[in-house]
Amino acid sequence: MTQSSAPKISLQDVGKTFTVRPTKAVPLGSTLTALDGITLDVAAGEFLTLVGPSGSGKTTLLDLLAGLTRPDTGKVLLDGKDVTGPGRDRAVVFQQYALFPWRTAAANVSFGLEGTGPDGKRLSRRERTEKARTYLDLVGLAGFEDRYPHELSGGMKQRVAIARSLAYEPDVLLMDEPFAALDAQTREQLQEELLRIWRTTGKTIIFITHGIDEAVYLGQRVAVLSSRPGRLKEIVPINLGDRTTDGDVRSDAVFVEHRHKVWALLHDEVLKAQQAGHAKILPDGTAPDEAPQANSGKAA
Amino acid sequence: MSAPTLTTDTHPTTQAPATTHTADGGTPHGSLVPATGLSQVKRVALNGGRALWRAGAVLLFLLLWELGPLYLAPASTRVFLPPLHEVLAALGALIAKGQLQNHLGASLTRSASGFGIAVVSAVVLGLLVAWYGALDRFLNPLLEVFRNTAALALLPVFTLLLGIGETSKISIVAYAAFFPVLLNTIAGVRTADPLLIRAARSLGLSNFTLFQKVILPSAVPTIFTGIRMAGTSSILVLIAAEMVGAKAGLGYLIVNAQSSFLIPDMYAGILTVSLLGLAVNYLLVGVERHFSRWRTAVGSGNG
Repeated sequence: MTQSSAPKISLQDVGKTFTVRPTKAVPLGSTLTALDGITLDVAAGEFLTLVGPSGSGKTTLLDLLAGLTRPDTGKVLLDGKDVTGPGRDRAVVFQQYALFPWRTAAANVSFGLEGTGPDGKRLSRRERTEKARTYLDLVGLAGFEDRYPHELSGGMKQRVAIARSLAYEPDVLLMDEPFAALDAQTREQLQEELLRIWRTTGKTIIFITHGIDEAVYLGQRVAVLSSRPGRLKEIVPINLGDRTTDGDVRSDAVFVEHRHKVWALLHDEVLKAQQAGHAKILPDGTAPDEAPQANSGKAA
Repeated sequence: MSAPTLTTDTHPTTQAPATTHTADGGTPHGSLVPATGLSQVKRVALNGGRALWRAGAVLLFLLLWELGPLYLAPASTRVFLPPLHEVLAALGALIAKGQLQNHLGASLTRSASGFGIAVVSAVVLGLLVAWYGALDRFLNPLLEVFRNTAALALLPVFTLLLGIGETSKISIVAYAAFFPVLLNTIAGVRTADPLLIRAARSLGLSNFTLFQKVILPSAVPTIFTGIRMAGTSSILVLIAAEMVGAKAGLGYLIVNAQSSFLIPDMYAGILTVSLLGLAVNYLLVGVERHFSRWRTAVGSGNG
């Protein structure tokens, strides 16, 4: 079904290299290849999950899609057009919620609605409030409009963040381990709600996660990245049938089979990443593991 | 459709008191008292006792001031350290003659003008310096030199250049109040959460909108901390400046009373200065709190 129409998102041989700041150990500095030769198409309305070991460039890939950074090689296309910067056709949901603490839930949701929209129109205050209410309602937070972020639990904060991303009606939702900081019960609940929102809104979702269960449960396809430099190892299509029933999908034999497949693909890569001591690539393009690489390899 | 699913991550009842606590940092002990076990009377007595304990040190000090000169000090010292009631009487007389109001008015006008000039210019310059790295690298060494030069050391310079009139006093107050506000403005802008900036950037916000909607609001509490510090130092410096050369003002009142041997008047002036300092500080703490309401529990809430 993905090949029939033009892809919503198309990555063509995308590579990204960071220059690592010179340190005492490496006085000349070095380069860090975060992503290498990624080619991937995502259809409109598809739910794609992305797994990979620490430091495999998952967040870098998301930054490229969001337009926060530019690729060094290859192309990132959205609706066939080059991504040149951030835009309101895409929304990012972060792991740490990134809510504005001085704004109430409703004011956070309407943040993206302020100013001139892509169609050149400005929404009045009342229209913005109305929209914020609608989207808070969609994520199950009706009645919490006037709460400040510090008055909300982690799960509720992430709901507000999701509502904020949906409010300005982007086509694509980019989610960077959005549920990783939540407790297991809240996470499962939000996973179900995300699926419900996805079904009702028809957004294209790219969802990064550490959790294999989460990837298999949510995604129509699971893309597995290799350890650094991040390459696309395999894309596993997931077919769990009709999931609208309330059964325990995760115990289903089909689910377990898919889960094992992704686990096996990821297992070697995680081991490799651990032996190399790879850690998360920081936003400035450095990775804490890069400098003492020589001895950490032996230690592991 | 989804409201019932909320129950596991909603704790409105436990969160409600947390927000009321934020208004005053000093009272969380109150919640430790089990409301059921104590009778109304006992609780009132407990609160009264606590208030008495809080005021105790001040009351003891005032008592010592009243009785010490009368019973402990030799008669010769009593001239230089009159008991509290004489000072209060002198204060009353100064108010009745309208002298205190004049001096207080003069001091307040000077410190408010200097303080106002400092706040406006320091916030503007601080925002510019924090936003433009090149400007920061250029100005920072000079600002460091000035910041570490005590304001009062420059008092002779201000007097020589601007005379002994209002201009020199307002200028020195502005100088003293400028740096706390400037440094806190810079720190406030610098410490804006990079994650929030990333989130705003992902929406395609322009630099100006980003500054206006994300960086400035997140810097406001830190800026107000600087403003509060500036308020305290502007009064301190002003009193000193008025002691050196002035025709009115609380500093002048104190020094003039001393040289005219009106010792109770001198203490009345000192008492007014400390009450003024307290009042200004309370006012600015209130303002600061008003603008930082959202910041409570940010550390624990964002982890």
